[in-house]
Parts: sequence; C-alpha cells; structure tokens
Amino acid sequence: MFVKIKGLNFRYKNAQEETINDFHLRINKGEIVSILGQSGSGKSTVLRLLAGLEIPSSGVIIIDNLVIVDDNNFVLPEKRGVGMVFQDYALFPHMTVEENIMFGLKKIDRKAKKIRVEEVLALVNLKEFSKRYPYELSGGQQQRVALARALAPQPFLLLLDEPFSNLDKDLQLKIREELKGILKATGITAIFVTHDQEDAKALADRIVILEDGKILREGKPQEILE
Amino acid sequence: MIKINKVKQNLNAWSVLSFIFIMLIILPNLNILGGIFSPANENWQHIKTFLLQDYIFKTLKLVVFTGLFTIILGTSLSWLISAFDFPLRNFFKWSLVFSLAIPPYIAAYTYNGLLNYTGIIQTFLRGTLHLQINQKYFDIMSEKGAIFIFTMFLFPYVYTITQAFLEKQSAALIENARILGRSPLEIFFYIIIPISRAAIVGGTSLVILEVLNDYGVVKYFGITTFSTAIFQTWFAFGDINSAIRLSAVLLLIVFVILFLEKILRGRKRFSFTTTKSRPITRQKLVGIKGMVAFSYCLTIFSLGFLIPTLQLLYWSLLTYQKILNGKFLSLLVNTVFVSLLAAGLIVIIAVVIANYCRISSGLAAKIYSKVTTLGYSIPGAVIAIAVIVFFINLDHRLYWFYKFLNPETGKLILSSSLVMLIFAYVIRFLAIGFNSIESGFEKNGVSFFEASRTLGMNITETFWKVDLPMIRPAVISGFLLVFVDILKELPLTLILRPFNFDTLATKAFEYANDEMIHEASIASLFIIAVSIIAIYFFYKTGDKEAE
Ligand SMILES: Nc1ncnc2c1ncn2[C@@H]1O[C@H](COP(=O)(O)OP(=O)(O)OP(=O)(O)O)[C@@H](O)[C@H]1O
Ligand SMILES: [Mg+2]
Repeated sequence: MFVKIKGLNFRYKNAQEETINDFHLRINKGEIVSILGQSGSGKSTVLRLLAGLEIPSSGVIIIDNLVIVDDNNFVLPEKRGVGMVFQDYALFPHMTVEENIMFGLKKIDRKAKKIRVEEVLALVNLKEFSKRYPYELSGGQQQRVALARALAPQPFLLLLDEPFSNLDKDLQLKIREELKGILKATGITAIFVTHDQEDAKALADRIVILEDGKILREGKPQEILE
Repeated sequence: MIKINKVKQNLNAWSVLSFIFIMLIILPNLNILGGIFSPANENWQHIKTFLLQDYIFKTLKLVVFTGLFTIILGTSLSWLISAFDFPLRNFFKWSLVFSLAIPPYIAAYTYNGLLNYTGIIQTFLRGTLHLQINQKYFDIMSEKGAIFIFTMFLFPYVYTITQAFLEKQSAALIENARILGRSPLEIFFYIIIPISRAAIVGGTSLVILEVLNDYGVVKYFGITTFSTAIFQTWFAFGDINSAIRLSAVLLLIVFVILFLEKILRGRKRFSFTTTKSRPITRQKLVGIKGMVAFSYCLTIFSLGFLIPTLQLLYWSLLTYQKILNGKFLSLLVNTVFVSLLAAGLIVIIAVVIANYCRISSGLAAKIYSKVTTLGYSIPGAVIAIAVIVFFINLDHRLYWFYKFLNPETGKLILSSSLVMLIFAYVIRFLAIGFNSIESGFEKNGVSFFEASRTLGMNITETFWKVDLPMIRPAVISGFLLVFVDILKELPLTLILRPFNFDTLATKAFEYANDEMIHEASIASLFIIAVSIIAIYFFYKTGDKEAE
C-alpha cells in the first residue's frame, strides 16, 4: 500500500461534534481516489489533514512507508511532499505563471527549474502563457496553472479540492477529460474531492462516500453508483 | 494525542519576537497599575482629600459634553450627507473630515489669537465699528472653550464612521420608512440613530479617548484635568509616587470607558451581514431646505477648518521672513527623522505580531492582538509616566555597564535619549500600524499561505516570498498613518524628548505658550498640510474601494 490512513479524528475548535470521525483509506500507487460527499460533509477537511494544514487529534498517516502523522510525529506541510490544488486555485497574484510554478522547485538549479516549468506547462497545454500574470488568464487556464504548480515538485500524493467548481459546465466536461489524461500520464497518486457523481465516475478508480465526517461506503465506481 | 511540539518549534522565532515586543509594551504599564498597591505618601492623602474629586469632575465634564456635542454634530452631518442632495454636498462630504487635520492644541491657540483683545475680530469691532465689548464674551480659555475646540476638531471621528455606515447599510430601511410616510426628522430619530448606534458609539469612544489623551489644549487653557495634574505632580512637586497613582486612576477610567463602549455597542458590529449593501438614493433638498442644509455644513466647515486655516495663513505671511531659516529647517529634519524612524519601527513590530497572531490560533495570539490595540487607548500622560519610570529603572540597572564602557559616564543614559521617546511612540501608535496590517492579512485570506506551505516553503520563507509582497499596500498605508500621527503628536514628545530636541509640534506649542502665537503659524500649517494630504489620500482611496 502506498498511502495508509488509519483512525483519523479531527474537530474544529468551535465545533460541537467530530468533524472527521475515524477516517481510514488505503491507496495503491498511481491510483486515483475520489471523495464524494455533500457540502459540509468534511471533504476539504480530510484533504487539509493530509496536507498538514490541520492537526488531527488522533490517527496515523503513512505515505510511501514514511510516517507522516502518528502519536509521536507530525511532519510539517512543507516537508510532506503532498501537493494540493486549492478550490480557489490560490495562484500568487504577484508572480507570473512561470514564477508560480517555480515557487515549489527549491533545491535544483535555475536551468533545471526552467526545464521543469516547460515540462509541466506542456503537460497542461499552456506553453505560451508562462509570462502572464494569473489575472490575465481565464478560469480554466488558472485551474491548469494551479495543477501544473502542484505537479511541478513531483509530490508523492496530489490532492485536488473540487477542481471544477469554479468553471462553467461546458468547460468542466472538457477539463475533466484533460485532467484524467494528465494524471494518468504522470502516473501520480491522487485524491480528488467533489460533490458531483459524474466527476467521480469519470475520473476515479475508486470512490469513497463521506457523510458527516464518516465514511458511508467505499468501492469501484460501478459498484457504488449503479 | 498528536504531539505538536514540532509544529510549534517552527513558529518559534515569530512567537519569541512577538512575546518580547508584547512584554515591552505591557511591563511599563503594569508598573503603573502596580503603583496603586504601594504605600501612599502624605502628599497623596492631600491630593485624595482636596484635589482628586476636582480632577475627576473636570475631566468628566470635558468628556461628557464633548461626547454629547460630537454625537450631535457627527450624526446630523452624516445623515444630511448620506440621505440628501443639496448645494456643494459632494464637496462637504469629504472636506468636513478636514477638521481632523488640525490638532486640537493648534486650534486652541489659533482661536485664542483670533478672539483675544489684539485679535482680528476685536480689533475690527473696536476700530471699525467703535464697539466696546465685554471681554468675557471673547474668552475662549475656559472649560466651555475647550469643549468647543474638542467638539469642532474631533467630531469627524463620529461623522466618518457613521456616514460610511449609513451610506452603505441603511438604504432599504430609510426608503421603507419614507414610503410609510415618515418625515425626515422622524426617520432621523427612530431609524438613523438606533441603527447606527454601534457606529456612533465607536466614533464617540475615539473622541473621548482623544480628550483624555489631550494635554496641549488643557495646558494652554489652564484647565486642571488628569493630564495636567499628573505632570504637575511629577514636575512641580517632584512626587513620582502620586503621579503614578493619578495615572493609575486615569487608566482605570479608560478601562471603564472601554467597557462601557463594549456594552453600549451591543452585539452588533458596524455592519449587518444579512442585508445586501446597496447605496442609498439621495433625496433632493430644494429651496429654503437646501439652503439650510448648505449653511449648516458651511458653518461647521468654516469653524472647524476654514477660519483657523485662513488665520494661520495670514499669520504666516506676517512671520515667514523671521521663521523660515536654518533653525526651522533643522526642526523639520528632526520631526521627519523621528517620525520616519518610529513609524518604520512600529510597522516592523506590527508585521511580526500580526503574522504571529494570524498563524497561531492560540490564546496568546488573542491576548497579543488585544494588548497591541489597547496601547492606543492609554492617554499620553500615563504612557509618559510609565515610560519614564521604566527607563530610569533601566538606567539604574545598567549603570555598571555604562561605567564599564565609559568611567566618566552620567547616570541617565537611555532616559535622556531619543530611545525613550521612540519607545513611547511605539506603545501609543502600534495599534494603528497593527490594525492596518491585520486587515491586509485578512483581505488576502489564508489560502496563499497554505498553498505556499504545501509547495515546500516554511513559515518564514512564505512570509518573505508570499505574505509580505501581498500585504505591501497595507504596510505602506499603516506606515503613512503612523507617520502622520507622530508628526502631530504633542504630549509624549513634549515630556519625553531629549534636552534641546524640538519637533514642529513642540516648537509651535512653545511659541504659543510664550505669547508668540503668530510665530507658531508656519509649523502649524506644515502639520496641517501633511495631515490633509494623508486624509485626502485615505478618504479617496477608501471611497474608491467602497465602490
Ligand atoms: N475553519 C473552520 N472552523 C470551524 N468549522 C469549520 C471550519 N472549516 C469547516 N468547518 C466545518 O467543518 C465541516 C466540514 O467542512 P468542509 O469544508 O470539510 O466541508 P466540505 O465537504 O469540503 O464542504 P464543501 O463541499 O461545501 O466545500 C462543516 O460543517 C464546516 O462548517
Ligand atoms: Mg470543500
């Protein structure tokens, strides 16, 4: 198993009940898992826990045989090798597309950085846009830059939070196909969150249905969504 | 339970720095409150029996009447401007704020010069109209005069907050009331006042804190309030102990006022979140009604800005040859230098604390942001005493070190240097820089920060690469606000400056106190001009953002 999550519990400070209750998940390398659930069910919270943006009250997370979280360890978000595409993209407005993507490439020299930027931009089909600022891009283009930025450092695990929610319906369908192509081409392990069954069906190898912070069902798309 | 030590560790540099800054702010003030518990001396018995009541009574009188009159002026003007159209309404909308550009102490001596026996008004009445006038009608140097000055030059605090609130939030309510057949006056009393209560209370409490902070006006007019009493006890009677006690009492009064503000404001913040904001459609006032509204605004604008400014301009024409010389230039350099230095320091400290408070969700962060903002509520007199006591203490403790560096050294090094003054500025004005920067952080939200973390940058790297570039506008505007405030500052500068160190504010005040009001005009005008530029800048950009 590439990713192992066991007994994850979490509660926001001002919340009455557990926001995430005994969450568990196992993911194979290269698998795409979708977390499906209604608004407020805790989908984003699960991703935030995996990224290290929230600290669980208990639980274990192991990625690639490295303990990320357990009773004695908590690896900081910047040390996890977990990439994330945010619901609102969070592209840095004061940086160009190129600079945004380079941001996550720390330890390599400038030339290697440039090459990597070219690579991921080619992957998302935005080669000519490297000098633009985020506000000079359409919603769909921004979304792809966010994806490229998250992919550039070659994370072990990629998290996508409602990647289509800011796009209109036509674009959603188009990008959905593209995204599937890109993810499969890189062979990355990914979790993506959505409230749309169609998204999940089209993209996921496996689906987890979340309700009120608890796992309701889990399985292959055909089994779950008959 | 997950151990979070490691998470904390990463915040360490920020939390340690914040802790140090906060302690430096709290310690001197804690000293003051602690003073209550030390044994009282004879002098304090005397003050307590014969004088304290008088101080409290006079101070409260100023506070209550100024508060009342600023509420009347501020709300009536904000209602006129928000709900009606009349001649020059757009001009008055922002020029009414200009009164805030004239610090009350400058207004005080300007009005005195205008109204006294040799002033332009009495000369005119005597010389041209041959009227003999009873002096008592022209004596502004009284409690009533002080209330007039405070009201005319502080009311914009109430006016700006209430006006912004009304313009954005009240459209639906006012229009409904109109449709239901209510008259404008009824609307004012039954709708405007109740819904803008939180805004009015907020603005008024700022006015009251300014009155308590004031030293220039009351000193110049010879009124005994807490501010003047504290300094007199210290400097004239050399009684530190009693000065500390008086400061403590004043501090308690401030706490009571802040507490009252919280209660009066109620649970409502300045804005509703439920109603969609929509600008109000203004009602046109024609004919006599329009003229009345126009005259009202014009009167306030004239008294609060035009007349004193013209008077100062006239005096500056009389004196500029005498005043504008190398000495004035060095005064200017002094002023700009300390203001820049202190404003820079304040912004740096504010950024550190604001960043820590934003990232850490703990109790400490909450307390820090409270403490930071509390500084602005502490009257100058109290801060001055607190800082002096603190630094003299420090000098005593460091004496061995001074001696080690220089065997001939005097005892008071820090407490006779600019460090002490700048330290006091930080305590008093940190809140202003902090508020600006905090709102900058809030505007950007956390997602950029989090994105940067997931891309492999730690908190400090993220700060330099993402946060700081993004909050730059807030940092700059915080810096400017603080800069202007320090430029105008009087009580702290007057008390804490090193020997022979003058700023525009202290020099102007000195001139005025030495019966050289005309000579004070150029320095005063300079302060006013800088303030106007700042007000214009912020009011305009604020207006644009609102649209
Ligand atoms: N910062 C927070 N503080 C307190 N409670 C929060 C916070 N963020 C989310 N919650 C609560 O936690 C629960 C789960 O929120 P979460 O954002 O994970 O839902 P979601 O499934 O992503 O919903 P959506 O589809 O609307 O994005 C909700 O009830 C929400 O109100
Ligand atoms: Mg969500």
